[in-house]
Amino acid sequence: MEIHVDKDACVGCGLCVKDCPMNVYELQNNVSVAVRPNNCMGCLSCHEICPAQALEHRGIYAARRHYIDIKVCEMLRKVV
Amino acid sequence: MSAGYIDEMHEAFHSDLVYRSEDIPLECSPKPREMEQTLHGVMKLNGLVIRSLEEIAGRGANAVTYRAGKKFGHEVAKYFQKREDVEGALHELSDLLRGQYSFEVWKPEDKETFIIEENGETFIYLVFHDCIVRQTLRRNGLEQGGPLCQTLFGYVVGAIEEITGRKAKLEIVHTGPNACLKKLILK
Repeated sequence: MEIHVDKDACVGCGLCVKDCPMNVYELQNNVSVAVRPNNCMGCLSCHEICPAQALEHRGIYAARRHYIDIKVCEMLRKVV
Repeated sequence: MSAGYIDEMHEAFHSDLVYRSEDIPLECSPKPREMEQTLHGVMKLNGLVIRSLEEIAGRGANAVTYRAGKKFGHEVAKYFQKREDVEGALHELSDLLRGQYSFEVWKPEDKETFIIEENGETFIYLVFHDCIVRQTLRRNGLEQGGPLCQTLFGYVVGAIEEITGRKAKLEIVHTGPNACLKKLILK
């Protein structure tokens, strides 16, 4: 697992540090650093909680998403 | 109601198909893409049932759903091969859950084996990736880890008990949008 933190985007709020059950992140000089990436099990709670969207995971298994409404997505594609 | 509408309705439910009682359907009908509305309907209904159950029964809701899941796990797994080793049982279980749930055994990097012994208990970490329960909860904006998750807990515990003959317990360690970490405690 490779975790990339965008240092320019990270606001140093520490939410990922607090939320990660496996203590993958640590705050260093007010920026989040993935110090134990091998402990990451890919839950992506950190992605959901990060207000700056500063995180990127590589080599992750993306779970199936059945709750995405295809019709809504089709409408959004027309707008966006 | 106009006669035209009734004719139209009858027309919609009429076909020239010959259906014999011995006919066994070999594939889903209609195609999964056309089932999306049905799937969303079932997810919505499940979410509402769980929300109502929680409102009426409070914490007792967990016990009800856990029990239901456990019975289901025992029921389904009794047709599977009995095994004493937990790894084998988990393999059987992943076959059993295919299509609805997918999971893998997992360990933190400081642990050497997947079967961990700590504070007098033996356990295995399981990471659940694909999960119909999580999808349902997110579809309905419900919190993870509540009564609907207990059905899966019961299901896994029931199936493991049935396959190995050993008592087991499942605990939530963490729930996330893409995966959940659970602890299978063996007794």
